[in-house]
Amino acid sequence: MSAVCILAPVVIAAWPALSAAVVAAAGSLGYQVAASQRVEETAVSDNAAVRLELERSEVVTSQLGRDQRISVTKDGVTITFSRDARGRAELCVTGEGYEQEQLRAMGEELSKAVIQQYVFQKLQDEMRARGFNVVEKEVMEDRSIRLKVRHWEQ
Amino acid sequence: MAVREFEITIDPAGFVEVHVKGYKGRTCMEVAKVFEQIVGEMRSHQLTSEFYEPEEQVQFRIDQKT
Repeated sequence: MSAVCILAPVVIAAWPALSAAVVAAAGSLGYQVAASQRVEETAVSDNAAVRLELERSEVVTSQLGRDQRISVTKDGVTITFSRDARGRAELCVTGEGYEQEQLRAMGEELSKAVIQQYVFQKLQDEMRARGFNVVEKEVMEDRSIRLKVRHWEQ
Repeated sequence: MAVREFEITIDPAGFVEVHVKGYKGRTCMEVAKVFEQIVGEMRSHQLTSEFYEPEEQVQFRIDQKT
């Protein structure tokens, strides 16, 4: 072994890559993808909604893609991901009958899972493009994803 | 042909730990830079004894049988 590196993820993604990560993360945590809807149109009181930002994120999009969003639901809670005016990915968590802290915790759990899925997909794609083979993949009990990658060099 | 191996762990928050194996010297850090480009910001790196070994020289011997 030669080196051990710790890297903090930065999410710079086009909307299709981000929404694919949302779908994968949502599925792993038991959410269902809902039909797209504008959060403003849903009838929820202010104290039943929490807005969060996806840390270190930038959604690269065109003028036409500005209004893109995706919603997922579980147990009466809806989490909607969208792109804010500064280009960052944000999420709005709504759910009647839940405390703000509960909604915040659910939003944070899902946003972390989205970042993990985005990094996982990107690593797989980039490794493949560089001729590296993923020879082992394992999801650990704590939801960490462990990969073993091999490369033969001449 | 040299086999290079990486063990990658993506934690539940998306932070990535990479064990780079089989590289010696500066090539090891070049590989770490590739992961930095893919994932994001390098928070820490720890070099092991193998890093300080001289860089490899590969020799091939080909015998022709008649």
